[in-house]
Amino acid sequence: MSGPSPPAAVSKELLDRLEGIVGRDGLICDLQELIVYECDGYVIEKKAPDVVVLPTSTEQIVEIVKVCNQYDVPFLPRGAGTSLAGGCLPVGGGVMIAVTRMRGILEVNLRDRYAVVEPGLVNVQLTQHLKGTGFHYAPDPSSQGACTIGGNVATNSGGPHTLKYGVTVNHVLGIEAVLPDGSLVELGGPSEDSPGYDLTGLFVGSEGTFGICTKVTVRLTRDPAAYRTMLAVFESVSDATNAISNIIGAGIVPAALEMMDQGIVEAVEGAFHFGFPLDAAAVVLIEVDGLDVVVEDEACQIIEICNQAGAREVRKANSPEERQLLWKCRKQAFGAIGRLSPSYCTQDGVVPRTRLPEILEFITQCASRHDIRIVNVFHAGDGNIHPILLFDERDAEQVQRVLHASDEILTKCLELGGSVTGEHGIGVEKISFMDKLFTTTDLEVMEGIRNVFNPDGRCSPHKLLPSAGACGMEHIEQSHPGRRAAL
Amino acid sequence: MSGLPDNPDRQWTPSTQSELQRFVADNASGQKTPLYPVGGRTSLGLGYPRTAPGVTICMSGLKRTVDYPARDMTITVEPGLTLAELANQLAVERQQLPIDVPLAHRASVGGAVAKNIAGPRRFGYGTLRDYLIGVTAIDGQGRMFHAGGRVVKNVAGYDLCKLLVGSLGSLALISQLTFKLKPLPESAGTLVMGFSSFSAIDEALERLLTSAARPVALEVLNPMAARQVATESKLPLSVDTPLLMLRVEGTEREVECQLTTLQDELRHHSPTKTGVLSADDSARLLEVLSEYRVSSDDPLTFKANLLPSKAMQFAEWATQSGIAVQVHAGNGIVIGHLPDNVTSAPQIEGRIESLRSFARQRRGNLVILNCDSQWKRDLPLFGEPEPGWPLMERVKATLDPQNLLNPGIFLYGR
Repeated sequence: MSGPSPPAAVSKELLDRLEGIVGRDGLICDLQELIVYECDGYVIEKKAPDVVVLPTSTEQIVEIVKVCNQYDVPFLPRGAGTSLAGGCLPVGGGVMIAVTRMRGILEVNLRDRYAVVEPGLVNVQLTQHLKGTGFHYAPDPSSQGACTIGGNVATNSGGPHTLKYGVTVNHVLGIEAVLPDGSLVELGGPSEDSPGYDLTGLFVGSEGTFGICTKVTVRLTRDPAAYRTMLAVFESVSDATNAISNIIGAGIVPAALEMMDQGIVEAVEGAFHFGFPLDAAAVVLIEVDGLDVVVEDEACQIIEICNQAGAREVRKANSPEERQLLWKCRKQAFGAIGRLSPSYCTQDGVVPRTRLPEILEFITQCASRHDIRIVNVFHAGDGNIHPILLFDERDAEQVQRVLHASDEILTKCLELGGSVTGEHGIGVEKISFMDKLFTTTDLEVMEGIRNVFNPDGRCSPHKLLPSAGACGMEHIEQSHPGRRAAL
Repeated sequence: MSGLPDNPDRQWTPSTQSELQRFVADNASGQKTPLYPVGGRTSLGLGYPRTAPGVTICMSGLKRTVDYPARDMTITVEPGLTLAELANQLAVERQQLPIDVPLAHRASVGGAVAKNIAGPRRFGYGTLRDYLIGVTAIDGQGRMFHAGGRVVKNVAGYDLCKLLVGSLGSLALISQLTFKLKPLPESAGTLVMGFSSFSAIDEALERLLTSAARPVALEVLNPMAARQVATESKLPLSVDTPLLMLRVEGTEREVECQLTTLQDELRHHSPTKTGVLSADDSARLLEVLSEYRVSSDDPLTFKANLLPSKAMQFAEWATQSGIAVQVHAGNGIVIGHLPDNVTSAPQIEGRIESLRSFARQRRGNLVILNCDSQWKRDLPLFGEPEPGWPLMERVKATLDPQNLLNPGIFLYGR
């Protein structure tokens, strides 16, 4: 089934029922206010939901979902709306369940190394809460100052530390979720190896298509004993990728290995004046963490390797303040892009690390072929690239060129043995790639699994899996984006 | 009702993945015979026994290394490859898949994944679900599907790799696997300490929560288990008190530094005995500890999972009942062997029920890893049903609607 039909404008009766559950100030149905929710970080497609509800408890979410079923209306969850793939786009309208008011930290157990949190909790707030305990929550996407744990679960979020520490699914022990039929289920829990199939692992990354998570039990990670943070400046991208390859080849697993190209460096330097050379082709932030004796040794090896690869200079942080400064240039890179262009689109692709030079070369050519500017910042350690395509969204023709370039880059990622999404998810943005990445049988199997959880297709319809009848290229053909529900 | 014996004539060894896929598909539309995949046959004890004759599919014919781009730190292999052979290939590039699998010379990669085998180093390295990044598998309908990929960062599609880890071959036959890898540490060492009581060990474990060292394994043995491990390993372990064993890895300097740190930190917890094992002895000990779960003439071996902070209580109580236990103390996993004076089904049931109840009250459960086949039908092998089990049955029904893959092996046993 491709979803409930017809796409609904919600009735007054339904609104009343919803108001009965969440109260007047838990309901947004005024058109002006709904515009806020018409898109997430993927601004190319917009569609306002018919209503937004802001529940404050699991019980309310259960009731909301049941009511949506009764009225045959689609619904979907939303955290902070930082998705870059349209994960929060309410295709076909319906009820948006914003979990931002459920942001409690319900339990912290240091001895057993877990915490139980509500889905609307902002990611960084968990780690901030743990400061001083010797523990932190490891998955730290760049948007962690805004994104929610529930959203992290939906997209299996990553961030700069995944090479060493893994992604969200490696840190989730259990989930409580409201299934699309309104039933509540508990998967996993604070102890490991709960007998049964790993539905917790399956749920993470399901992009809201299996239900709405209402509690998450997460693993807490020891703070590293020590850090060494370096910034290496290279004359060419290939020098930088050689150095990276050799660092890995030396058996070092850096905690972070972030690369920025000249374009980004220019923006960051203009905004923050870190004293970076504007003519450097690539700058690599390298961090190792662990025992002091180990990281000292690894840092020496890394500096040696970078120099041998032709680094112009390697700066090393000699204090926590200097370390924060080096990181600032990476973490605020996106904030600085506004200097370069009014709009930008952050792509998310993956290639095997050894193919990085090829994809970067391809991106350069692609930019020139489509006459657009692309700057790059990415998680070099795991081959996860983030080419940032710059444009002015008022220029419709340029937008088309951006979309074409974006598609070409992702197609090339697949050709090189990679993936079309390392951490942002498929959402709506990349549904057209699913049949390039997966066979018909693969998609059939996935649809079967989705139908176990979401047989009527009301929950997050038209996400992740291609819908029957959709040709997949809608986002390019439409000049006034606003994805129509496939019927 | 006991399991029907294997009919040795009905065995089949596919030599390619596509051959396997055709066989399963033909079977699903034709004969509809139950299929029983096996690898190295080293963990067949886990799961309900067969009740219907079928075809044993020997996956050992599929043992190619498909691709090993060492600089990408991933490897793609077929399921019949043994863990030892895999380790040898990886060691050449100074890499490893850091999972402790017993009987590695026989155990297959596919089997380890299907049974989600793990051992002492799970504390420092995680388990197979943290390493399997791509899979090709054939479901009960004969559909060959893929999930994940060859890259360590990938969120395209549903994470069916996670679904298949620990699925006991009941959802799909895994025909190809891609793992992410870790570097192989230069050296290792183990600090072995005797303590007068489990509560003393518990205090030490609490101290270790914020240790300046980073041990990769925190193992506890009660005296019975210590004796068994000492005998098997031929290492000079003290066996009259519970033991705490801390394994550290890294460069030689790092290992030495950590061992010193750990001794300093735990000195004040009054260990009755302290000893340090060399790298070679540590390797030997790790092997024996990994194999503890399968080393058994004992009537029944169980695995309890519970909150780590309650594991020493469990160990204490089990010890009082004469059960030999090994605890992966940082993870709250207890492997126990019932003593051989427990001989009747009611005795076993009673014992297991009280152990399971203990674990349940501490947010856990209890699985039977192996026992005499005559008892298997009477015991809930996978513990008390978890809330997600009905949903899991529906997942099974979607991948294997005719219940042809290891029918009845898992969950409720039906």
